[in-house]
Amino acid sequence: MTVWGPRPVADRDSLEWWRRVRGHELPVQRCSGCGTLRFPARAYCPSCRGARWEWHATDGRGRVLSWIVARRRFAAEPEPPYTVVMVCLEQAPACVLYGAWRAGREPVPDEPVRVRFEDVPGEDLTLLAWHPAR
Amino acid sequence: MAGVGYTAFSKDSGVSTLTLACEAVLAALADAGLSPDDVDGVATHRVGDSAAPSVVGPALGLPPPSWYLDQFGGGSVSHAVVGQAALAVAAGIARTVVCYRAINARSEFRMGGTGRALPVGPEVQYQAPYGYVAPPQQFAMYARAHMAKYGTKSEHFGRLAVIQRANAARNPRALMRTPITLDDYLASRWIAEPFRLLDCCLETDGACALVLTSAERAAGLRHRPVLISAAAWGGGESFLSGPAPRDVTVAAWGGGESFLSGPAPRDVTVSSAAELAPRLYRAAGVGPGDIDVAQLYDCFTYSVIVQLEDYGFCAKGEGGPFVESGATALGGTIPVNTHGGFLSEGYVHGINHIAEAVSQLRGDAEERQVPGAEVALSTAQPGYVLPATSALILRAA
Repeated sequence: MTVWGPRPVADRDSLEWWRRVRGHELPVQRCSGCGTLRFPARAYCPSCRGARWEWHATDGRGRVLSWIVARRRFAAEPEPPYTVVMVCLEQAPACVLYGAWRAGREPVPDEPVRVRFEDVPGEDLTLLAWHPAR
Repeated sequence: MAGVGYTAFSKDSGVSTLTLACEAVLAALADAGLSPDDVDGVATHRVGDSAAPSVVGPALGLPPPSWYLDQFGGGSVSHAVVGQAALAVAAGIARTVVCYRAINARSEFRMGGTGRALPVGPEVQYQAPYGYVAPPQQFAMYARAHMAKYGTKSEHFGRLAVIQRANAARNPRALMRTPITLDDYLASRWIAEPFRLLDCCLETDGACALVLTSAERAAGLRHRPVLISAAAWGGGESFLSGPAPRDVTVAAWGGGESFLSGPAPRDVTVSSAAELAPRLYRAAGVGPGDIDVAQLYDCFTYSVIVQLEDYGFCAKGEGGPFVESGATALGGTIPVNTHGGFLSEGYVHGINHIAEAVSQLRGDAEERQVPGAEVALSTAQPGYVLPATSALILRAA
């Protein structure tokens, strides 16, 4: 059974990102000027400071940067123990995402992983889980 | 730095943060041999949890301030507040400034994530849904990356906790004074793997205050003054992507890692201190080899390990074995957190580290005195979590 923590509160920069995740897409922004990929969403490119950009759908592959196993309660949900992974995207290695871990074992440093979109039952919300790419 | 003042540290002060602030400020002024009527600057840092300078000033009947600072922020800004106060004095805007931090971090506002509302920030929406909401988890995440990359072991973290507890046993102010062993550490319960209970700092009720004035004026006061040789502050770790991938063992915005991606990936095993340290040492005209005693922000054991590397006391990746060698213990080559730190003395969000550094340089640290200490480093949270850190180098006059 899947239990999630406090629900995300989108802001004016992130609203469209969450909409796309709801549609099972994992996008980052791509600068129209210099091509730098960035996340989370914001108006200006950190490389060339250009303000023109478009959404870029990634292939949902990444690598494990690190992980923790929560062994006590940190919020009303989820119930411990649970594992949280920090992942950088294969196609945009500067972009870091968190997510739940879905495997019957602990992650391995730098292991290739793939995103899984998990729809939260009864809610208009999709969250990210990661599993071994195999 | 002309005076330091403390309240008692406890798990339940039974009083307001305003009362704690007033008590510590009065104690620091008495220690300096100054009157509240001498104060024309007041500064603090807080996260909406504590009494503001605009309340503490009137509560103590201080003269209208010519300068004040009410800095939003946690441990990463603790030393920046004192750095800014020093600038105000150096610029002639204020003559005598008190910096305080008053906190009911156990009985009212628990930073560790128990019974506290979610922190506010643009990154929270990407973390909280997965149950990733609290500092022990965040630092554990970076500690794990360091373990994976450099072979840092739980036993290294444990040795650090044991050493700091031994220091606290010599500190009458410390909350936790019963010595612990490595086995005690390894047997302590998991909080967020790879962190156990004894990797985590205390949550403390208490306050600490510092009095700053010009070096000329301080020379005529009660104590041998402690001079601020250098202050530096800068950016830190962030979740935002940068221009390139990151090594979760390093940090990058102004020396720190950011929540926002930048132009390049980052090494998350490096903290903001790696960027800040060269500027700090350059400003003070010293290097890590000149530091006699260091008070390094220890919200968690790992925070100290990474700073030992990033402030240049040992090679990158060698922080764990460096601690294991005994170098950071009293009597070692660079005694660290001689008061016991947040892990064992108490958690006053950085200000008690500065106060301990002052004590060491005055030579009044009694049983835990580092003989002949002339130059001290004191540091803030090393720029994980929030993109900022800060630090001071202090020198005996």
